[in-house]
Amino acid sequence: MTTKEKPSQRSLERMKNYVDKYRKKSGTSGHPNQDVTDAVVSGLAAHVDEFGRPLCPCNYYPDKQAEVDSSRQWFCACDEMKQFKYCHCLLFVTPEGLPITEYLPEDHEGRQIYGVVEDPTPERGREARHQI
Amino acid sequence: MTQPIEFTDASFQTEVLDSDQPVLVDFWASWCGPCRAVGPTIEELTKQYDGTVKVGKLNIDENPIAPSGFEIHSIPAVLLFKNGKVVDKLIGAQPKERYQEAISNLAA
Repeated sequence: MTTKEKPSQRSLERMKNYVDKYRKKSGTSGHPNQDVTDAVVSGLAAHVDEFGRPLCPCNYYPDKQAEVDSSRQWFCACDEMKQFKYCHCLLFVTPEGLPITEYLPEDHEGRQIYGVVEDPTPERGREARHQI
Repeated sequence: MTQPIEFTDASFQTEVLDSDQPVLVDFWASWCGPCRAVGPTIEELTKQYDGTVKVGKLNIDENPIAPSGFEIHSIPAVLLFKNGKVVDKLIGAQPKERYQEAISNLAA
């Protein structure tokens, strides 16, 4: 199977539930454009079907299987989300639909694209901040 | 040309790298939310720059070879090519003005 195909209902439900729970845990919101969320959740579910892991669908991997085998870095929630509360896939964002960037290094592309976006719920999320 | 060209691994060399015109390529994937958000902007740019800049898209899931030489990681990644070389790279879903600015810089 390739990620061009429709994911299974089982994986879709699994990822929807995961995303809902992680939004609560991290104090983030969904994007105002539901199509953005639906696309990403479908991509995660398709990767679960194909690789057994929720590999981020908003990156280019020269070899997806090799990526899955070598690292957990881009399994949702990815390292950037757990450390910096930044989701470039726009799955976990502020109520306005912007990714949180205030914890990112200044030279990170997220800061260059969006400027400084403050975290509305700093008491939640960033469970891997100690790994920065 | 009023719709973005669908570039592929097979056409990339001739349509992009060997093009006489500057080329804007949107590297995207169907399951990428921000890619979908930037899609309408790419269509608008196609119409606006018809005849002066070749504008198109390349689906990285269906065409995994072409992106490999351009240090692309996050998508959407919009790259501007001139005379076969990358002259600008815009990562993420950016405002239309940023793409227009990058295209304007091509003439400099």
